[in-house]
Formats: sequence, structure tokens, C-alpha cells
Amino acid sequence: MSQDSLYEQAAEAYGSSLDRLARAYELDPEARRDLLQDIHLNLWRSFAYFDQRCSLRTWVYRVAHNVATGHVIRQRRLRNRLVSIENIETLPGSEHGELAASQTEALERLSMLIQRLKPLDRQIIVSYLEEMDASSISEITGLSPANIAMKVHRIKNILKRWSEEGGHHAQ
Amino acid sequence: MPSEFPMNDPQNIWKNQPTEPFTMSANELCRKAQQHERKARFEALYSIIAGLMLFVFFAWRFVQPYEVVPRMGVGLLSLWGIYYAYQAYKWIWPGRPTPDATLNTTLQSYRSELEKRRDHGRHLWRRAGLTFLVLGVAMVIVPALIKSLDTPRLLLNTLPFFVLLAIWLAVFLRLRKRNRGKLQQEIEELRALEM
Repeated sequence: MSQDSLYEQAAEAYGSSLDRLARAYELDPEARRDLLQDIHLNLWRSFAYFDQRCSLRTWVYRVAHNVATGHVIRQRRLRNRLVSIENIETLPGSEHGELAASQTEALERLSMLIQRLKPLDRQIIVSYLEEMDASSISEITGLSPANIAMKVHRIKNILKRWSEEGGHHAQ
Repeated sequence: MPSEFPMNDPQNIWKNQPTEPFTMSANELCRKAQQHERKARFEALYSIIAGLMLFVFFAWRFVQPYEVVPRMGVGLLSLWGIYYAYQAYKWIWPGRPTPDATLNTTLQSYRSELEKRRDHGRHLWRRAGLTFLVLGVAMVIVPALIKSLDTPRLLLNTLPFFVLLAIWLAVFLRLRKRNRGKLQQEIEELRALEM
């Protein structure tokens, strides 16, 4: 398969996922468009070396996350403020206490949570939200499935806590 | 009040968010990649030419007859010019990504990006050839400063500049050390996570 046709196949299958992935790394719409273009450009370039040692999906997500992570690392001031899932988990409830009544608000809060995370944790939460299982996330990130399972468990706890706080506020 | 809160199903919220289709074709991406390569080559060429011009200028100053020490300083500066051009060629000239680089997991890639950041700071001095530059400038300036001891007023006028320079250098080195420490700590945490 040629480089162009591999790229077209990947863009067709994962175009929407890549758009959502770019949103996880960049809130500003203009900068996000640039990042998305950069991801597609690197993806097209990378297919010159695609040798099917991993699945197309794993390849696409690795390249996309690597480009997006590079984008975060270059912003040093932003990078220094990022925290891990473990840090977010220990934050007091009042930090997220407001009710997210609509889908849009919930998405906004979810995006805010993702934007605060360090790149590796961000990759895990995005993969979890894309409904990947622990072994798929492990193949992309290189972390052990047990480690992924633990992180996903923490993510679920945080989101559950937010949801309960939302319910509590509504009563 | 809604009985079901949207955050109960974050995967559904995430996957159902509106997305925009990416409209560039493979051909357009190919053209864009070529444009990027041309731009990167132009920037590298610009740095190489700047280095060579500095080399020619200082070499021309070097052959002018004047005192030995400043002349040696100017000679060093001309060497720095050619070293700068070489480094620009070596580090900036764009290369194609290696197949292994694209096969890396995101964890390996993230760690190697952080290592590059750490090493960039660590080798900045060597890469920029600052030894040649600082030594050359010192050999030009110090004799002039020694001469100016005869006229203390000139020395007093330049004192604030040197004091500010020393403060800036102390702050810069401290911040760089702190930043490098943070990077090293994160790299070690990532190494511990690697299978």
C-alpha cells in the first residue's frame, strides 16, 4: 500500500478521533487547527515507514500523541503547571464543586480536567474516553496494562466524584 | 432538575462532541511538507551564511596590524564564526525522521523529548561555541578596560552594566539549574514506568 493510500485510509477511519485528540491538547481554536494540521502532516510523513509491526490504529495514535505532546512540551510555562492524575485525585471537592447540568458544560469541564494533566496522563484519559481497553492503551503508551488499569480507575473515581457532587448540588 | 447528570457517562460526552472534518488531501500535505522543508533549509542556510560572514569579517580584522592580545581575540572570534556555521549545519539542517523514531511508544517519545530539552541546556555552551566567543570578546575588551584605568570615569560609567550582567548571569544559572532538576526528576519517573 502506498504512503498516500495508507494516510487516506487512516484519515478516513480516525479523522474525528484526531480532531478530538487535538482538542485535548489545545483549547484555542486557531492553535488547535495548526496542531491538527501538524498531526496530519506528521502522520502522512510517518507512513513512509509503516511496516505493519503494529496495528494502523496504534500507529495513528502514537504519532498523533507524540506530535501533540511535543506541542505541550514546547510551551514551558504551561508545562510547569501540569499535574498528574494522582494530584487531581487528592484535590478537595470544592475545586470541582459546580454542577455541570448540560452536555456542553460537562464537556467543558472534562476538557478543563484534561488540559491540566501531564502528557502521559492526558494520553491515557483520551484513550479511555475513546473507549480503548487497557491492553490497547498499553500498546500505544508503553505503560504496563496494570499501570493503565490503575490510572483509569483513578480517572473514573474523579469523574464519579464530580458526578456525585453535581447530584448533591441539584438536590 | 435532570435526574441523570451528564458526567455519569464521560465517554459518551467525549465521543459525541462536534468535530470538524480535516479537508487537506494527501497531495496537499505532500506540498505542505515540501514547503516546511524549504523553509527549514532557508533558515539553516541563513545561519550558515551569518556564521561565514562573521568569520570573514573577524578574519579581515585579524590581518589588520594592531596590538597582539586584541588581535588574538579577533582571531578567536573569527574561529567562532566558522564554528557557528558548522553547528548550524549540523543541528539545524533538517533531516528525515528515522523509522525507529516513529515506532516509539508515547512514553519513550515523551522521555526522549524531555531528555533533548535537558541536554539542550546542558550542551548549549558547547553547541553555541561560547568558549570561543567569551574568550575572544574578553581578549578584545580586557586590554581596553586596563587602559581605561588611567581614566577612572570611563570605568565607573561601565560599572552598572557589568553589575547588571553579573546579576542576570546568577539568576539565569539558578533558574536553569532548577529547570534541569525538574526535567531530570520527570525523566527518572518515566524511566521507572517503562516496562
